[in-house]
Amino acid sequence: MDLALILNLSMLLTLATLSTPIIFPLLSDNLKNTPTTIVNTVKTSFLISLVPMMIHIHLGTESLISSWEWKFITNFKIPISLKMDFYSLTFFPIALFVSWSILQFATWYMASDPHITKFFTFLLLFLIAMLILIVANNLFILFIGWEGVGIMSFLLISWWHGRAEANTAALQAVLYNRIGDVGLILCMAWLAYTTNSWEIHQLPSPTQSPTLPLLGLILAATGKSAQFGLHPWLPAAMEGPTPVSALLHSSTMVVAGIFLLIRTHPLFNNNQTALTLCLCLGALSTMFAATCALTQNDIKKIIAFSTSSQLGLMMVTIGLNLPQLAFLHISTHAFFKAMLFLCSGSIIHNLNGEQDIRKMGGLQKMLPTTTSCLTIGNLALMGTPFLAGFYSKDQIIESLNTSYLNTWALTLTLLATSFTAVYTIRMTVLVQTGFPRIPPLTPMNENNPAVISPITRLALGSITAGFLITSYIPPAKTPPMTMPLSIKITALVVTALGIVIALDIAKMAQAFTTPKQNQLRTFSLSLGYFNPLTHRLAATNLLSWGQNTASHLVDLSWYKLLGPEGLANLQLMAAKNSTTLHSGLIKAYLGSFALSIIIILLSLH
Amino acid sequence: SEMSKDMMPGPYPRTPEERAAAAKKYNMRVEDYQPYPDDGLGYGDYPMLPNKSQYERDPWYQWDQPDMRHNWGEPMHWDFDMYIRNRADTSPTVVPWHIMSKHFLIFLSSMLILFGLGEIYPSYRPVGPKQYPFNDLYLEKGGDPNKEPPAVIHYEI
Repeated sequence: MDLALILNLSMLLTLATLSTPIIFPLLSDNLKNTPTTIVNTVKTSFLISLVPMMIHIHLGTESLISSWEWKFITNFKIPISLKMDFYSLTFFPIALFVSWSILQFATWYMASDPHITKFFTFLLLFLIAMLILIVANNLFILFIGWEGVGIMSFLLISWWHGRAEANTAALQAVLYNRIGDVGLILCMAWLAYTTNSWEIHQLPSPTQSPTLPLLGLILAATGKSAQFGLHPWLPAAMEGPTPVSALLHSSTMVVAGIFLLIRTHPLFNNNQTALTLCLCLGALSTMFAATCALTQNDIKKIIAFSTSSQLGLMMVTIGLNLPQLAFLHISTHAFFKAMLFLCSGSIIHNLNGEQDIRKMGGLQKMLPTTTSCLTIGNLALMGTPFLAGFYSKDQIIESLNTSYLNTWALTLTLLATSFTAVYTIRMTVLVQTGFPRIPPLTPMNENNPAVISPITRLALGSITAGFLITSYIPPAKTPPMTMPLSIKITALVVTALGIVIALDIAKMAQAFTTPKQNQLRTFSLSLGYFNPLTHRLAATNLLSWGQNTASHLVDLSWYKLLGPEGLANLQLMAAKNSTTLHSGLIKAYLGSFALSIIIILLSLH
Repeated sequence: SEMSKDMMPGPYPRTPEERAAAAKKYNMRVEDYQPYPDDGLGYGDYPMLPNKSQYERDPWYQWDQPDMRHNWGEPMHWDFDMYIRNRADTSPTVVPWHIMSKHFLIFLSSMLILFGLGEIYPSYRPVGPKQYPFNDLYLEKGGDPNKEPPAVIHYEI
């Protein structure tokens, strides 16, 4: 049985099935899309993509398709090559499962939208671009997918484009991603220059990699995966509809940067500077995002900062030279983060658009399934033993504690883990428990299967995904197996500490025993003041200098100073300097005449 | 119809009558009208409006053009496309600018210093020096077989 053929065929069939809702309406007027057909398409693709994953898990088959080559110049050819290895074969079913659930949820969430089919088509286009990115073996194809997800992110965040904040957020997303793209293009240029190939399997792994392309890759990941420095777009992207936040900004698009680093990790293996930079950047991002999430009041912003913090954790894993563990965290994180977003979407819609957790409460009795799944998702996020998040997060923290690394990075990551517990428990307590702070006449129900089945499906995934993946996939590097008890339970202790602190603070907030505003709280609430400082400075300066240069400076320099007015100025200067010599006295003229004669005689000598 | 010659911007106004005529042309009061200084950058008699963005205008007032928060006939800023709501924001911040920059720079610098300290004093599992048998491999390292090897003790009591 030629399993490689079946593998290739089923992967290509998955991609082809996903493209049918895009292509068929162009072919005939009768084949129109509806949201239901698109949901069924994604479901079919998911079921088809299970086949190659099973083949790979049980038999270890991998494959590399390389078809039609673009003969760019004589000695540099760009083939269309797709790589079906562990990462792409495992991520396909996960991404498609999560997307199927989100699209099914979106049939309910966006039901009142007049352009719902366009919305679904956008989401499908995004999914195709993301899968192209995952399956690419070539940095060129990856770049196509990279840009595709960036553009779809822009279109989807500004879905309600009548809202100026949504447009600004979409602009932010595109500009920050663009800055990251500079790094990716730098790395591609360096690779084309030195190794004459953009293929992933032809990446050099020398004993000492040069740092420049690795800096470019880290910049690309910083932009796409919202690490500290290029992070403001991710919380701002919550202006888009909740299915967009669930699909793009929690499970799939933001992991594209980390995925790039996973794919190119042969380059990183030997360069300790780049690895330390990844580690420190990831630690700073996870800590900063967790700090900002502590004081947020919008439920979607809390989950967005939680995503940002987990992305920092993935970057830390890359910095520890453990790409497979980072991929495991990507996979488990996709499940519970998408579920958290879907639960928050259900809550928001049921409360008629209310997103402020200070105006929610007691929802446990009113929306039992949704809030139970919210609790499961939060527990998985905190790394509760034997739920999905535990298998990846606990392993990461164990590896952190037993490696030779920067002490401050270790401290920051442990602090961020406890902060994760704090803001998660805060969100749970304020949303689900206590007295209801919602308006009294709020008709809410979760009787719609389009809401409940995606959420419960993802809840099942959140519980079992970690266990299933780690049971079937052997780890690539030996994980640390011997450590003292205190190191082994560090993650648990830190999380438990966070839970205790959160419960204490929640009780204090209800009794108002502490002051409401101090400098630290303002720092956290205003996201570290990063947004106004950078955005206002950069925007005003760039725009005003640009305008001044383009209009005034160009006019002044080219048309005046280098033309007529400049000549006039020179003439004037020369005339003014020589006027003093034209005094009208004969003695002066005789003197200058004699001076010139002497100079000529001396020079002829 | 096109704008007539007297509605277009003109040269810098030098006499008070020219200033009054320019203020009337731009639909402003003579007291408010302030042209850009005449230093050769070519602004002419266009009024210098305060550099305030659209964010600072009242969001609840019934503007003629709500998306631009602008009324018909109101003079537009020279850089108006910079001050729309998708671009620069000059509204006053909740926290004063100097406090914001101070706190952010303190945060950033302390993080960088602590990362540097973490590089100098990294964290690792306790390790001990490697211990070799046979008197610290005396013969293998080229020691004289006839001489007494130096005693090597790897512990302290």
